[in-house]
Amino acid sequence: MTGFPTKDFVALVPVAILTAGAIVLLLSEVFLVSGRRGYQAILTVAFAAAAGIAAAALPASGPVFGRQATADGFSVFVTVVVCAGLALSALVGAGWLEARNAERGEFYALALFGAAGMSLLGMASDFLVGFIGIETMSLATYALAAYLRRGKRPAEAAFKYLVLGAVSSSLFLYGSALLYGASGSTLFSDLSKGHGSALLLAGLGLVAAGVAFKVAAVPFHTWTPDVYEGAPTPVTAFMAAGVKTAAFALLARIFLAAESGPAAQASAFGGIIAALAVLTMIFGNLLALPQRSVKRMLAYSSIAHAGYLLIGVVSAGAAGAREKALSGVLFYLAVYSATAIGAFAIVGFLERRARGDEEPMDPWDLQRFAGLAARRPGLAFAMAVFLLSLAGIPPTAGFLGKLYIFQAAIGAELYGLAVLGILTSVLGAYYYLRVVVYMYMRPPEGEAEGLRSPSMAVAVVAAVAVVVLLGIVADPVVRLAQAAGLL
Amino acid sequence: MNLLTVVTFLPLLGAVGLALLPRDEAGQHRVVALSVSIVTFLLSLGLWFGFDAAPGAPEFQFEQNVPWVRSIGIGYHVGLDGVALLLVMLTTVLGPVVVLSAWKAVQERVKEFMIALLVLETAMIGTFAALDLVLFYVFWELILVPMYLLIGVWGSQNRLYATVKFFIYTFAASVLMLLAILYVYFHDGGTFDYVEARRTLEVTPTAARFLFLAFALAFAVKVPMFPLHTWLPDAHTEAPTAGSVILAGVLLKMGTFGFFRYAMPLFPEAALEYRTLIAVLAVIGILYGALMSFVQADMKRLVAYSSVSHLGFVMLGLMALSAEGLTGGVYQMLNHGISTGALFLLVGILYERRHTRLISEYGGLAKQVPWIATAFVVVTLSSIGLPGTNGFVGEFLILSGTWLSRIASSGWFAGVAALGVILGAVYMLVLVEKVFFGPLENAHNRHLPDLSVREGFVLAPMIALIVVMGLLPQPFLSPAKPAVDRLVQRFQAAEQRLGKGPQVGTQSTSFATRVLLPPGAPAIPVAPAPEGH
Repeated sequence: MTGFPTKDFVALVPVAILTAGAIVLLLSEVFLVSGRRGYQAILTVAFAAAAGIAAAALPASGPVFGRQATADGFSVFVTVVVCAGLALSALVGAGWLEARNAERGEFYALALFGAAGMSLLGMASDFLVGFIGIETMSLATYALAAYLRRGKRPAEAAFKYLVLGAVSSSLFLYGSALLYGASGSTLFSDLSKGHGSALLLAGLGLVAAGVAFKVAAVPFHTWTPDVYEGAPTPVTAFMAAGVKTAAFALLARIFLAAESGPAAQASAFGGIIAALAVLTMIFGNLLALPQRSVKRMLAYSSIAHAGYLLIGVVSAGAAGAREKALSGVLFYLAVYSATAIGAFAIVGFLERRARGDEEPMDPWDLQRFAGLAARRPGLAFAMAVFLLSLAGIPPTAGFLGKLYIFQAAIGAELYGLAVLGILTSVLGAYYYLRVVVYMYMRPPEGEAEGLRSPSMAVAVVAAVAVVVLLGIVADPVVRLAQAAGLL
Repeated sequence: MNLLTVVTFLPLLGAVGLALLPRDEAGQHRVVALSVSIVTFLLSLGLWFGFDAAPGAPEFQFEQNVPWVRSIGIGYHVGLDGVALLLVMLTTVLGPVVVLSAWKAVQERVKEFMIALLVLETAMIGTFAALDLVLFYVFWELILVPMYLLIGVWGSQNRLYATVKFFIYTFAASVLMLLAILYVYFHDGGTFDYVEARRTLEVTPTAARFLFLAFALAFAVKVPMFPLHTWLPDAHTEAPTAGSVILAGVLLKMGTFGFFRYAMPLFPEAALEYRTLIAVLAVIGILYGALMSFVQADMKRLVAYSSVSHLGFVMLGLMALSAEGLTGGVYQMLNHGISTGALFLLVGILYERRHTRLISEYGGLAKQVPWIATAFVVVTLSSIGLPGTNGFVGEFLILSGTWLSRIASSGWFAGVAALGVILGAVYMLVLVEKVFFGPLENAHNRHLPDLSVREGFVLAPMIALIVVMGLLPQPFLSPAKPAVDRLVQRFQAAEQRLGKGPQVGTQSTSFATRVLLPPGAPAIPVAPAPEGH
C-alpha cells in the first residue's frame, strides 16, 4: 500500500458532492436571513446535477476500496438516474411544500443524504458497503416519510416504514453474516468460494428477502401501499424512483455474484427471484385493479413494475442474455423513474388539501381527475402520457422498456415468465386507462382546480420530455445502458 | 425525402400544428384537418401512379430503411407492395371523407377530435407501410389510443363500456404478438426486419405453430373473426360516425392485412395446418354475422354485424390459398372499406337528422329524401354484391377461388358461404325496405332535409368507387397481383417441404379468371415468377 489512494476517492466524488449538498442545505436553514426559501430547491437541483455530471465525466475507477465497491458504467448509470430523480423530486417538493407552508432546508438535506446512500448502493460490491448504503438511504427516507405529519395517515405510514424497514435491514445483515460464515468474506465476488451449501442458501435467502423488501416484491410488499399513500407525495415520487433504482442495482450485483457460483446455488437463487417475479407481477397488478385512490393505485403499480424488473434480473442469469438483461433493467429503471415521478407530481397537483389538522377522507380519489382534460388540459395530457408509458403502449418510453426487458427474457428462454409478464401487463392497461377515462370522458366536478406551481410544472414538463423522447429517440440512452450493462 | 414517409407522417405533422392553434377556433381546426387530409391524399396519388406492378418489379417499392433504435436492432424500414398500396390508398381516400362527415356532427372539442383523426391516419398508413416488425407493432398499437378517445369522448350513451372493451380486447390480443416478434428476433439472425426475417427465419414446427397462433390471435380479434368479434358491435354502435367509418373502413383491414403480410408468409407450414380451422370459423362468421344482422333493431348494430359476415368472406378467400381466392380477399377488403364505410356515413346522415338509429323509427323516407335513398340503395347493392358493383367482383373471386381451391371439401365451404351471400341480400334489402319504403307514418320524418352539398361531397367518392371498381376492376387488381403470386409461391414451397401433396393453388384451370378478365389480359394465376430480391 503506497501513496494516496486517489482512485478510491475519485470514485466517491458523486457521493461526496451529494453529502456536501446535504450539509449546505442544512446550514442554509441556520443562516437564513429572509423567509424566502425558493433557492433551496434550486440548490438541490444544482448539487444533483453536479453529482450526476461528476459521475458521468470522471474516469471509471473500477474496483476500489479493496474491491468492496466498484465504480463502473453500471454505478455511473445508477447514480445519474438517482440524481435525475432527486432533481425532479426536489422540484416537485418545492411547489408541494410551499403550498403547505412547510418548505424547509431539512427536506432537501434528507433527500440529498438519501441520494448519497443510493449512489453508494450502485457501487456496492460487498455486503458491508451494501448495508451502509441501505441504511444511509433508508434512514433518510424514513425521516422524509414522516416529514409532514398532518393527520393519522402520514404518521402511520412513517412508523410502518421504519419498523418494517428495520426488519428488512436486519434480515439483510443476518444473511450477510451467514454468508460470511460460509465464504469467509463479505465480498460479493467471494460468494462462489463458499462452503456449506445450507449456510450459503440460508444466507442468500435472507439477503434476497431483505432486498425484496426494498424493491417491494410480493410477499414483502405489504408496507408499500400504506407508505406510498401516506408519505408526502414528493417523497413518494422520490422513493418510487430512487429507492427502487438503488435496490435493484444492489440486487443485480448480488444476483450476478450468486449466479457465478456452483450450479445448485445459482439455480436456487435464480428460482427464488423468479418466484418473487411471478408473485409480484400477479399480485401487484391484481391488487391495483380495485383501487379508487390514484396514489394507492400507483403504489400497487410500482409493485407490478418491480415484477417486470425482476424478470430482467432473472434473465441476467442466462449466459447469453446477461448484458441485454442488465441494460434492459437499467433502461427500464430510468424510464420508470421519470414516469413515476411525473405521475406522482400530477397526483400532488390535484390532491385534496387538509383543512387545519382535519384529514380529508379521500384526497386522491379518481373523482379528483374527473374532467381534468377540460379544466387543465396540460396536466391531463401529461398524466395520459405517463399512464400510457406505465401501461407500455407505444410510442412512449414505457413500451421500449417493456420490449427491452421481454427481449432479454426471450433471449434467456424464460418463456413462461415472459408470457405471464405480458399478460399481467394487460391488467395494467385496464387500471391506468380508468384514470384516462375519468380525465377525458367524464364531466368535470365543480371543485377547486388544484395547485398551480411553476416548479412542479417544470418537473412535469421534464418528465414528459423524457418519456416521449426516450420512446422516439431512445438510441443514445440505450447505448449508455448497454455500456453500463457490461458488468 | 421518401414519398411514403411523407405521406405517413404528414397527418401527424398536421396534428401537431393543430395542437398549437388556439382552442376556440373550431372552424379553423376543421379547415386545417381537411386540408391536411386532402394534401395527404394528393401526395398518395404519387404512390398510386408511381407503383410498378410488373412481375419483375421489386416487391417493396418506395422503400426506406434507416436504423431507428440501432442498439436494440429496430429499424425504420417502410415500403409498399401492391396490397399495402391499395390499403394505404383506401386510408387516404377515407381521410378527407371522415373529416368532412364530422363537420357538423362534432361540435364539442373539435380540435381534439381532428387531432385524434389525424394521428389515427398516420398510425394506419404506418401499419400498412411498416417493414420492420417492431415498427409495425408500434403503429399497430398506436392506433388504439386515438380510437379509444374517439369512441370514449365523442361516442353515444354507452361509450365508456364500449371503448374500454375495445381497448382491452385488442390490447390483450396483441401483446402475445409482441412476444412472438421477440422470439422471431432470436431465430432469424437477430433482426426485426420483416424482409430479412421472412428470408432467414428458422424455427421448429412446434415453435412455428405457437408463433402463428400468437400472430393470428392479434389479427383475428382485429378482423374480427367469430368468436372473437364481441367487441365490434359495441365499438361500432357507440362510436361517432367518423369513428365507425374508420373502424369499418380501415381498422378491420389491419387484421386481414396482418394475416396476408405476417402470419401467413412468415409461418406458411403452420398456416396450412390451421387453414381449415380458420376457414371453418370464417364460414361460421359469415352465417352468424348475417343471422345476427337480421334481428337487429339498431341500424348501426346491423351494419356492424354485417361486417363480421363480410370479413368472414375475406378470411375465407385468404384461406383458400388460390390466386383467385387471395385476390378476391384483397379486393373484398377494399370493397368492405368502401361500402360499409358508406353505409356508416349514411346511417350517420340519418342520425344527424333524427337522432335515433332505431329502424322502427323510420319508414317511407324515399319520397322525403330521394337522394339519401338513392345513395343508400346503391351502397346496399354494392354491399350485397350485385353485378356491376365492386362487391360482385370480390365475392365472385372469393367463392370461385374457394370452390376451385385445394382446401378439403372446398365445395362445402363455397356453398355454405354462398348461402351467406343470399342472407346478406335479404337482411340488407329488408333494411332498405323498412327504412325507405312503405308508408311514411312517423310524423317526425315528414320534414327531413335531403342531402346537403357537403354530404354530397362526402358520399360522391364512395359511390364513384363502387361503380368504377365494379366495372373496371383491373387497375385495382393488378397492383395486388405480384404480392398474391409471391404468397402463393411461398405456400407452394412450403407444401413441397411438407411433402403431403398439393394443398395450395387451384384444382383446375381457372374458369373464374377466364370469365372475369378481358381476352389478352394476363390470367391471374401465372407461372411462378422469380422472387424479387
